[in-house]
Amino acid sequence: MSCQRVRNQFDARLDGRLTASEQAAFDAHLIGCADCRSEWGAYSGVWQMLGRDEGIEPSIGFAERTLRRLNEPPVVVHGWAWGRPLRWAALAASIIALGVGAWSRHERMLDQKRAEVYARMRQADYLEDYDVIANLDKLKEDHSL
Amino acid sequence: MTSSDPDVTLMLRVRDGDTEALRELIERHQRAVINTIHRAIGDAWEAEDLAQRVFLQVYRSSKRYKPTAKFTTWLFTITRNTILNEHRRRNRHPADSLDALQEPRDEDGAGWQAPDSNVRDPAQAAVERELQEKITQAIRELPEAQRTAVILCRYEGLSYEEIATVLGCSVSATKSLLHRARQTLKEKLRGYY
Repeated sequence: MSCQRVRNQFDARLDGRLTASEQAAFDAHLIGCADCRSEWGAYSGVWQMLGRDEGIEPSIGFAERTLRRLNEPPVVVHGWAWGRPLRWAALAASIIALGVGAWSRHERMLDQKRAEVYARMRQADYLEDYDVIANLDKLKEDHSL
Repeated sequence: MTSSDPDVTLMLRVRDGDTEALRELIERHQRAVINTIHRAIGDAWEAEDLAQRVFLQVYRSSKRYKPTAKFTTWLFTITRNTILNEHRRRNRHPADSLDALQEPRDEDGAGWQAPDSNVRDPAQAAVERELQEKITQAIRELPEAQRTAVILCRYEGLSYEEIATVLGCSVSATKSLLHRARQTLKEKLRGYY
């Protein structure tokens, strides 16, 4: 059995998933291969070491305290499924509101400008002079138009 | 899954409103649930609070319970979701999680009650405690899916198939997660084994 194949079987060996014959071949390879033996020692050693964490014991009365909470309302995980879309929707609404506000202000400014121009035009006597209208030179002098 | 599984039998009684059956389920699985949470989030008090929420969720979901899988697979799926929700909550409110990191200490500074490991030499006990802290820290630093796979495989003895169901992935993905986790732990804990 090749070293690569043995190392590919490390997890299966750890989890007891090798057949009897596979396990025998695995062990036989380790006997004859110092490198694989060292790698296996490290790989299995750390897994064994995890077992030294024996965990904690539940405090006395845990079950009783849990049962006393049966009638409390469920904890709302603040719409985690909705939180992000709602935030994006709020941002989009804000941008749209800002855009509408800016466009509305721009339109009001344009309207005001037009009103000023029309007021000046009504007062411009030269607009009744055909010669003026024909060449528009006089109009160009009024930069408001 | 048939009613020959005692957990399923109890759960069907819980579905019918039997709180004594729920008590028995809690007592059978409280240690596993508390330690799974504790290994993931690191605070014993919060682990118990969250474990209580797991069992409350079991109770609230009992009307919809169908014994299509092993009870523990369903239980650990709820446990994992509870842990994920807690991580999200801590990410949104990091100041809260700082308080949660303060483990309760007794007068000897030994912290939460661990089972008696028959270690009598104080120096050896200190070394052992440091080693256990290194182990739990290394596990806690794994990516969530790898961490869950390691905890369920190493400490709760779940099969690849059961872990895959809890994680919502394939068996081959589960094997890959375990392999990567073991490689990472081997590097992090080099020198301790």
